[in-house]
Amino acid sequence: MQIVVKDLNYTYSARTPFERHALKGVNLTINEGDFLGIIGHTGSGKSTFIMHLNGLFKLQSGEIDVFDIKLVPDKKKKSDLRRLRGTVGMVFQYPEYQLFEDTVEKDVAFGPKNMGLDADEVSKRVKRAIELVGLDYEDIKDRAPFELSGGQKRRVAIAGIIAMQPKVLILDEPTAGLDPYGKEQILSLITHLKKECSPTVIVISHDVDEITRFANRIIVFNNGKVMFDLPMNELFRHADELHAVGLEIPKAVRIAQKLRERGVQLEGDIVSLNDLLHAIVVAYNKKHIDETVDENLNFSAFEFDLNDSSTCKKGEGKA
Amino acid sequence: MATSAIKLENVSFSYPMSEGEEHKAVNGVSLDIEEGSFVALVGHNGSGKSTLAKLLNGLLVPTSGRVSVYGADTADDKKIYEVRSSVGMVFQNPDNQMIATNVEDDIAFGPENLGVPREEIISRVDWALEKVGMSEFRNATPFKMSGGQKQRLAIAGVLAIKPRVMVLDESTAMLDPKGRDEVMSVIKQLNREEKMTVVHITHYMDEALEADRLIVMNEGKIVLDGKPSDVFAEHELLTKIKLGVPCVTQLAVTLAKAGIKVDPRTIDEEVLIDSLCKLL
Repeated sequence: MQIVVKDLNYTYSARTPFERHALKGVNLTINEGDFLGIIGHTGSGKSTFIMHLNGLFKLQSGEIDVFDIKLVPDKKKKSDLRRLRGTVGMVFQYPEYQLFEDTVEKDVAFGPKNMGLDADEVSKRVKRAIELVGLDYEDIKDRAPFELSGGQKRRVAIAGIIAMQPKVLILDEPTAGLDPYGKEQILSLITHLKKECSPTVIVISHDVDEITRFANRIIVFNNGKVMFDLPMNELFRHADELHAVGLEIPKAVRIAQKLRERGVQLEGDIVSLNDLLHAIVVAYNKKHIDETVDENLNFSAFEFDLNDSSTCKKGEGKA
Repeated sequence: MATSAIKLENVSFSYPMSEGEEHKAVNGVSLDIEEGSFVALVGHNGSGKSTLAKLLNGLLVPTSGRVSVYGADTADDKKIYEVRSSVGMVFQNPDNQMIATNVEDDIAFGPENLGVPREEIISRVDWALEKVGMSEFRNATPFKMSGGQKQRLAIAGVLAIKPRVMVLDESTAMLDPKGRDEVMSVIKQLNREEKMTVVHITHYMDEALEADRLIVMNEGKIVLDGKPSDVFAEHELLTKIKLGVPCVTQLAVTLAKAGIKVDPRTIDEEVLIDSLCKLL
């Protein structure tokens, strides 16, 4: 199963003084099982692109095939949008602003209900979705979403999408506005959801350090076009080109570069902070054979187990 | 002795909750913010830092204790105009702070409300736009701008009131890295060149490093207060209260824990690289 995008173009406010060509001939194939990171400037076209993947924007030109659901610009042919939206789940920026029901349970049930599922199936899915995002179902189902903490609200909003059991999960800036601990929780949650629920995950983020933690492939948008589409370890060999278009380079890449310039031998491609730690320790152990240290270090200061839902409740203040 | 810009004396604030309960967001905080200083305030979501920010210009008044801005009590109704014109606030979401359809009108809104004469307003708008590096956008519409531009505009709108203190409540949280850099350099410049007192609330530990003084809040109380290098030396406490330390410090801490002899108190990337070069 694949998502295939062919020659996609999109223009905002066409034939007005505000006309802006946001996507210029985008061609891409996304495979089932991809853990895809999308980066690019504000205005580079990345959000416009993902909005097409679940039919929020009508095609102006080009073709999209999402797991055999075909989207075409032809006005006469109706695309199967209901099936598309059940296949591709979209978590917007600040999704907690979209919570609207008076209980968590009802809010999470909104999506699957709209899919026309029967009541039994809906309640089964709601329970599982709430548990998947690491919240205690019994404890939280009857509470008003508005009295939860910021991090909890965001998880409830994500549960609302997960309850539709999408095959592809798209998240736009999922950690924006969260404190460092909240960020770590959402990052482990995304990895967990990929394993347990939606095998294909696409994340848009401004934070390259964050993306290097999980993605196996990165697409760089620049000026409405795909500038790079590479496995993560290869992308940052183009650090200078990325820098030239004003994109940030992961800290680990930068530090490794400086160390190498000063003659330190570091092995392998270093992209994430974990790669950097590992390479430093390997180099250290080569030099200090009589006092070697453990090579499996983990960068994160925080540790949690998502299956233990108590870790997600503890330590969160009131919003 | 430096002049005190804002003084908090044993300040507490409680939000009323359902069923008559109260949530004490700020709990017995005493604090003296010196004129001309650049203070960063950090704490996890719910630690009370945004409540504290709103106490600084009388958007909230303390449940108990006293907040004074250049000697004016924020709880005194007669002084509230004085307080609000001394302390300007910039919030998180730039879109919520734009009120006019063009840049000039938006910035003029504050001084107009204060009854500033027209000629003076024009010169203030010019000055404010220049300070945030947006002079060329004078007649543009804010709605088509990037987040960083909008947020600089929001800062210009506050500047036009000519406050002596500027409080930024997570004003960089919704911006991309470029927008964050833009806003940070404007703030630093205002602090250095205009001697503006700045209180910057942020989730980014790397931004907190830029301040003269760093205050850490947890459960409504101040738990650490000092120079950023001294505060980040307390990495164990910072991790325990779910805050963490800047990236470079985290690297140093992890390596030191494993047994590699680098100083876990390192906050400067070049220093860490130097000590690694000696070891490797």
